[in-house]
Amino acid sequence: MFIFLLIEIFSRSVPQACHTDLHAGQYYTLPTAQLRTLFPHGLPYRFQMQIKTFNEACVMVRQPALELISYLKKADYSRPALRYILYGETGCGKTMSLCHALHFCATQGWMVLHIPDAHLWVKNCRELLPSSSRPGRLDQPLQASLWLKNFKTTNDRFLSKIKTTQRYVWTKRETTEEGRPLGELVDQGVARVKSSSDVVGALLRELRLQAGGAAEGAFRLAVAVDGVNALWGRTTLKKEDKSEVLPEELTLVHNLRKMLRNDWSGGAILTTLSHTGSLYKPRSAYLPMELLGEEGFDTMDPFVPVPVSSYTEKEFESCYLYYMDRHWLQHPHSQTEEGKKELIFLSNRNPSILERLCATL
Amino acid sequence: MPELEVTFTVTVMKSVTLQEVNLNSTLCNYYFFSVNSKFINMIMQDGNKVLSTEIVTQTLEAIKRKQVEKYHKAPAAEREAIECNPYTIFHQALENCKPVIGLANIQKGSRTYQVPIPLTEKRRRFLAMKWIITECRDNKHRRTHMYEKLSQELLSAFANEGNVIKRKHELHKMAEANRAYAHFRWW
Repeated sequence: MFIFLLIEIFSRSVPQACHTDLHAGQYYTLPTAQLRTLFPHGLPYRFQMQIKTFNEACVMVRQPALELISYLKKADYSRPALRYILYGETGCGKTMSLCHALHFCATQGWMVLHIPDAHLWVKNCRELLPSSSRPGRLDQPLQASLWLKNFKTTNDRFLSKIKTTQRYVWTKRETTEEGRPLGELVDQGVARVKSSSDVVGALLRELRLQAGGAAEGAFRLAVAVDGVNALWGRTTLKKEDKSEVLPEELTLVHNLRKMLRNDWSGGAILTTLSHTGSLYKPRSAYLPMELLGEEGFDTMDPFVPVPVSSYTEKEFESCYLYYMDRHWLQHPHSQTEEGKKELIFLSNRNPSILERLCATL
Repeated sequence: MPELEVTFTVTVMKSVTLQEVNLNSTLCNYYFFSVNSKFINMIMQDGNKVLSTEIVTQTLEAIKRKQVEKYHKAPAAEREAIECNPYTIFHQALENCKPVIGLANIQKGSRTYQVPIPLTEKRRRFLAMKWIITECRDNKHRRTHMYEKLSQELLSAFANEGNVIKRKHELHKMAEANRAYAHFRWW
């Protein structure tokens, strides 16, 4: 009986692209070698701790991720890019579903542009420089260069193939000529931290123009933004005269907003709403209208909403059995039927609350 | 309509913080709670019980993480020997730190002598917890978190190593050295 249940949890042998509804609720393992290249900065912190503890990265196959992947499979990539928004209550698994979909994109050979948390770009910035290229804009060198480093780790193999289409002048002595590989552009941004925000803007522009283009270097672009409601909310950053910075005035945010418009083709835009890092929003807000605000909703308007909810009974069973299998539930009472009922009641089947409860047992 | 239901349950759950949830659940009230609660009270400063329960739960989680990581990395032969339950580790570490015999200052004539005396169970438990907490507060690197320091200290006490065990042994040696004065005790 126990062995039968074990086989039910893991769908290790099935290749990632063929996951269907039959596999819903089961776990599949991300190979550790791919993890460091694919997700240098994408996974939630508690999941990273879990990977370290269990010595493996197991993701549950859930309904929202399957839905998203089926849309990605069926979409027509000669049309303008479709926007998908994953929304749901705090702790229901939006970021994990996004990462699942990104893993699918990567296995299909797409180029992945992953912004792990857009909220980090609108708060807690230590260095805000006035932009070198445009007056009235503000640069964030640290965030931009860190993101460029991670982008390079993920997409190394594409960077030598794609060429720039325009000449970029960074300072009096530094330029990037037309026709140079994108890798040079990224290196420029990582090395010269001062102009890294502008480099990010140039990079996004190049990718937008060239995604899904000619057959020679054809690649599909997956733009994944976690916490997209940050781009249209307020910021906690202040200018030197103590006036509040609007998100439009930040170079990174401005360029990212241009990326999220559906005027380019040959890829998909996967986004998540996140209340956890959001600023000045009430705690009960989780719907797109509440979190994005008027302006954001209108900009994102033709989008495909994908709701993410708490675990179903089957998924909860699967999660519980996985923790038992990994020796995570140590308290003797939690291993009984009564303990399981208490866990269901206390966590309301919310994945993150369940994970935190089980951590202390 | 389904949306409204969902919002209601979520609001109910969200009004209860995770600390309250942990304290009131019967899972944690199972018999380890009595030892745990004493420890939580001793760590507490300025009456901030929320902070001290959080520290203790984070400590237990840290201990469990380290042990489970060790468990999964070990070959199958050694897996049986690795203890993963943070409650048993805490209990055992505390047992290992409890001194068997203590010293009391007894005045005879004009001199004060350090006399070895038996300790009650309560006193032993108090001394063990006090030593662990002071060791973690004073002797560790300034920038590590308390739960990290505590988990390191408890794991080494579980293995009978570390500074607290050393302090216990020193107390025992002092008592042994002062055996001659044992008859000064009149109770």
